[in-house]
This record gives sequence, structure tokens and C-alpha cells, in this order.
Amino acid sequence: MVNRRRVLKIGAATLAGAAMKMPVSGRNLPPGRAHSAFHRAIFDERFAESRCFAAELHGAGVPTSAIRGDVAELWYDDLRVHLRENRLPLVGLTDRAALFCLEELARDVGMRVIFRADHILDKDGDQIGRATARLIGNFDISGHHDPSAQKRTGPFSPENQTALVSWVIA
Amino acid sequence: MVLPPNVSAADFNAALTEFRSAVGPGWVFSSDEDVALYRDSYSIQWGEPEERVASAAVAPDKVEEVQQIVRTANRYRIPLYPISTGRNLTYGGSAPNMRGSVVVDLKRMNRILEVDEKRAFALVEPGVSYFDLYHYIRERNLKLMLDVPDPGWGSPMGNSLDHGAGYTMAAFRDHFSSHCGMEVVTPDGELIRTGMGAVPNSDTWQDFRYGAGPFVDGLFAQSNFGIVTKMGFWLMPMPEAFLSGTITAPRHSDLEALVAEVSYLEDLALTGMPQYGSPIAQAAFGSGAGAMASLMQNGWPSAEAVEAFVAAQKLPAWSVQLYFYGPEETVRATWQAAKRRFGKAIAGATFQDGEFLTLPIPKEKEPTRSDKPRFGIPALEVFNMVARNARNTNDPPDGHADLFVTIPRKASALWESSRVLYEAHREVGMPGGQTPFSTPFTYYSRCFWTGTTVPTWRDPAKNARSRELFAKVMNRCAEHGWVGYRTNPAFQDLLISKYSFNNNSLLRFQEKLKDGIDPNGIISPGRYGIWPANIRKKRA
Repeated sequence: MVNRRRVLKIGAATLAGAAMKMPVSGRNLPPGRAHSAFHRAIFDERFAESRCFAAELHGAGVPTSAIRGDVAELWYDDLRVHLRENRLPLVGLTDRAALFCLEELARDVGMRVIFRADHILDKDGDQIGRATARLIGNFDISGHHDPSAQKRTGPFSPENQTALVSWVIA
Repeated sequence: MVLPPNVSAADFNAALTEFRSAVGPGWVFSSDEDVALYRDSYSIQWGEPEERVASAAVAPDKVEEVQQIVRTANRYRIPLYPISTGRNLTYGGSAPNMRGSVVVDLKRMNRILEVDEKRAFALVEPGVSYFDLYHYIRERNLKLMLDVPDPGWGSPMGNSLDHGAGYTMAAFRDHFSSHCGMEVVTPDGELIRTGMGAVPNSDTWQDFRYGAGPFVDGLFAQSNFGIVTKMGFWLMPMPEAFLSGTITAPRHSDLEALVAEVSYLEDLALTGMPQYGSPIAQAAFGSGAGAMASLMQNGWPSAEAVEAFVAAQKLPAWSVQLYFYGPEETVRATWQAAKRRFGKAIAGATFQDGEFLTLPIPKEKEPTRSDKPRFGIPALEVFNMVARNARNTNDPPDGHADLFVTIPRKASALWESSRVLYEAHREVGMPGGQTPFSTPFTYYSRCFWTGTTVPTWRDPAKNARSRELFAKVMNRCAEHGWVGYRTNPAFQDLLISKYSFNNNSLLRFQEKLKDGIDPNGIISPGRYGIWPANIRKKRA
């Protein structure tokens, strides 16, 4: 168990750049906005950043679902059933493998990744899972979608590092 | 937007209009972002002009709609590429063989038409995934076990039609071999049923495979002679119990005897898929890494050097895990017999009892199993292997392309092919990992597979190196008569060129069939090297 605070270490430009590209409307919107936008927030309970992300969105009224790396049960027993009826967006902060699987599976219901920011877990720095959640929570689904977000990487993470990804599937 | 080759924009749009009329406007996808969903996530040509991308996709819901799509395609000469779930990653996935084809996405045809517990079969549509069929069986407490690939997100139909395989008993893990009966839309839009399905009032379509006359089912696997719309599969009755056991063999040369005994059990259908291993090779991933590097530092070592190395390591050279399915009395007796035979055949063999389970595994215990495919439980956990771990490189790839070649089921072939693979990798300057302790894949019971995996990237320069290695390995193995059983579309022409007996007479025969059955060349042009006449002339 690591006692030191871990970080989502990303290039300073990455998240800020992603934020600038996103037509975020109302960064200080009340929690109700996020609640109506997203069907589910997916988080991986193995990662503190991901748990923090989920807690933040849960507080904003977004239902959350936990995985431990494997998305099979969540997708086949839960998400796919609902999304076939009503294609509401999903958000998540997971590792690459989980997003890779969800992105492939989402094609079944005609959905795709419309936003993606990549993060590498490092040892030092400030925890920004909460900040990521706030950013995602104010994401404007109807706005510009980033085509480069689709299939940007495969499922592999770098050696001995955890590559987390924050994403929106819609 | 990419257009199909030799099709005008006007004709393409007219075809799309007819597709919309056939399936409904919401099920024809032609926008850039919709079509991008069908890119091959593991493409070895990502972003290059040669990348095999679709021009559009159409998703029919029923056989009649498939027939209409095919007839429209004939009118406008639109190449089609059918997919069931489109998750055959490393072998092309959801992307077409020929750039500009229209993907026929059969995901909406996802009905499980029949499952008969006593006669142990299922009849399914193309869009039925292994997960769907598994849940169907579990929800009804049917005493049937699937054989699944890993990952299990594909479909029985898609996997079997590309000669995929699984993990249980030989009769079931060769997925195409365990099918019984097909329904196919032919390239002229006609509908046929094979085997006993051709008898209108037969109720043995999923019982007897051959019917009378030529057995044509094989024409629709790894080919482009039609679009399969229904397929029957024989399923394994749920065994009462499961037992595993591990055997080790001390010397490198013991592999011959080990293979002989394992083969005996496999050929008598007494074991499920055996798992060969090497404790010495396993140690090389940890404290033994230095010793293995020393062994390999001057190239492929001699047999004498290998045996001296084994003696110094004080670990067995080989192991094999066996998996028994059946009544408890049977599995325990078979393991006892196996130990007796191996003990007699291999001096110094050791035995370790494995796990005994009564089956089926209770649902609440399924999540804890790391070996779900051994029990016919589909899973996606294999992707967790490529998450954070010490074996990943610092510059991880985005996917991989696999080359598995068929070699005889004997130790000498394994050793020789491992050496050839090792040298091919060295020639290209890429790490291979083969050693004299490399073990075979045993997906098909009557042969071994060995091979390599090359990384694929979003970077064209890196992909170019991977393609170079892939072709070199394929060519070097083919010099020895070892050739792949399936491959990525980027290499299918090269692969089929190796099946060259009598001036490629097999391919020439297939081309004659293609020209007769599909004169407009609309179904999956180029799949496994079978190009329609109009395109062959241009390629010549």
C-alpha cells in the first residue's frame, strides 16, 4: 500500500487543453445539471483517483457503478440493457483496458467515445480526481465532439505505470 | 469519405437509399463518425492509405433484409463485408478486407432460436455473442457447457467461421468442427440451408451434419461465398465434475515422451486442452532471467548446452497441466491412469494433484475464477493482463497481430520452429522471446501451433517494422512447410500464396467457384486471397 499521495500526473497542457476545447457551459452549475446529463459514472474501485471521481459525481446526482478492471458483468447485465432503450451518455475514470472494452462494446448500441483525456499515475503531486469529475460533470454533450477521442489507443499501459483515462461515451 | 472502388458517388448514394429502404433509415451509417466505429482497433495500417476502412455500414434485422442488401449490392456493384460482432481483433476486427466496402453489421440479428438440452445443441443468429448464449443457458439452468474463446465477447458464428478455438474437450474447442447446419444468403440473394436443413420437414438439422451430397459448409468459413444467417452448434453436456493435475518432466529431451502421452489422452478424448509449460522458462521471468540470457547470448544453443543448462537449474524442464471433465469416478480414475502411464514413460516425472470441483460452478463463485474459459464461462479479464504490469514496455503498443503456424504434434518440430522464429526475429532486430523451452499452443488437438505476436501502433513507421517482421516470420516458417491457419487481412494474400501446391491449384479452384457464385464480386472481395475476376485482372 502506498502511503504517499499519488497523482494523476498529466502534462499541464493536457487537461487544460482538453478543457479549452470542450464547450464547457457553466463551470459553476448546480449539481442538478450533471444529474440529468449522464446515465452512469463508471469508476474503478482499485484506484483512489477513480473513487474520488465517482464520489464527486455521486454528490452531483449521477448514479455510479464500480468495476475492478473487468467491465463484462457491468456491460452485459446492466448497461447494454438500458442503453438499447435509451442512449444516455456514460462517463468514467478507468484504466485503458476498461475504456478499450467499453468503446468496442458501445458500438453495439451505436455509441462512441466523444471525449478522452489520458493520465499517467505518478508518485508525486496533487490529487485531481475531484477536479476531473467537476470538469466532466459540466461537459456539454450537445457540443463539439472530438473525433480524435475515438480509438486513440489500445488497452496497454506503460511498464509499471497505471494509465487512467477520463472519458465520455455518448 | 471513402467510396467503394469503381463505384461512382451517384451509384453509392443510390445504393445507400435502397439500403435505407430495406432496413430503415436509422440502420444505415454513412457519416464519418459512424463509419469510424468500424475501424480495426488493432490495425497494422492505422492512418495509412492502405488502411482497410469501410465506406458505410448497414445493420439488417432479418434474413429478408440481408437478401435485399445483397441484391442492391449486385445492382450497383457494391462490395459488402459481413460481420457478426466484429471483435475478431488481431485478425481484422470490424474492418473490411477491401477498403471502401460496406460493412453488413449483423448485430441486430441476435436471436437464440433454439437450445435443446437433451440433444445438446443450439441454433443461433450471427449477432448472438458467447455472453448472450451463456446467460441464456444459465438463466434456464440448462445442463450444458459452452466452449468459449478468450476474450469471450465474440460470437459462436463469427469465431467458428474464422476457425477459432477454445479451451475444453477437443470435440468442442474446434469451434467450426462442432457446428451442425447453416443457413446462408448466397451472393445472388438466394437462401440456402445446408445438411438436413435442406429437407423442408426435417427435424435433424442440428443432429446430422452432412445430409446427402457434397458437404458445402466449409465453403462459408474463411471465405466470401455467402453471408451466414443461422448456424447450429453442438454443445457439451455439463460434466458432473472437473479435476486437474500437473506432471513435470526433468530433462529437456523428455518432451518427446511427454507429448506422446498427452497425445494419447487427447486422442482418446480423456483430457481437455492440455497446457504445456516450462518451470525453467517461467523462472526466467524472475530470478532466472540472468541464467536464460547467458544461455542465449551466443544465439541458439546446442542440445548439449541446453541439457547442461537444465541440470544446473535444478528445475524441471517441462510441465503439463491436464484437465479432466466427467463423472467424479471417471475423472479420478483417468488421472490415476495418466500418472501410471507418465510415470512409466518418463523417469523422474513428478505429479501434483490439482483442483477438484463439482460442476457447474455456482454463480456466486464465478467472479473468483481466473480460468473461466476452462469452464465455458466467457470473460474479458484477459485485457487486465495488458494493464499495468512489469512486462509491458515503456512505449506500449496499441494492439497486436498474431501469426500462429501449424506444426506437427511432436517435440522436434517445436524445437526447430522455435529456433526458426528466434532467428527470424533477430534478423529484423525485434525481440522474439523464443527459447529452447518455448511451449506449443494446443487449441487444435491433432497439431501444435507456434508463432509470434507483433505489436501494432497508431504510428505508421512502427507499423512498417511490424509488417516487415510479420512477413519475414511467415516466409521463414513457410520454407519449412509451417503455415498459418488464419491471419490479418493485411497478410491474407501472402498467407494463401504459401498454399501453392500444383501452381496454386487450390486457390485457382476457389476462384472458379467465386466467379461462378459471385460474378459481380460483391461478398468480401479478397478474403483469404479469393479475389473476384474483375479485381484479379487489375491486380495481375
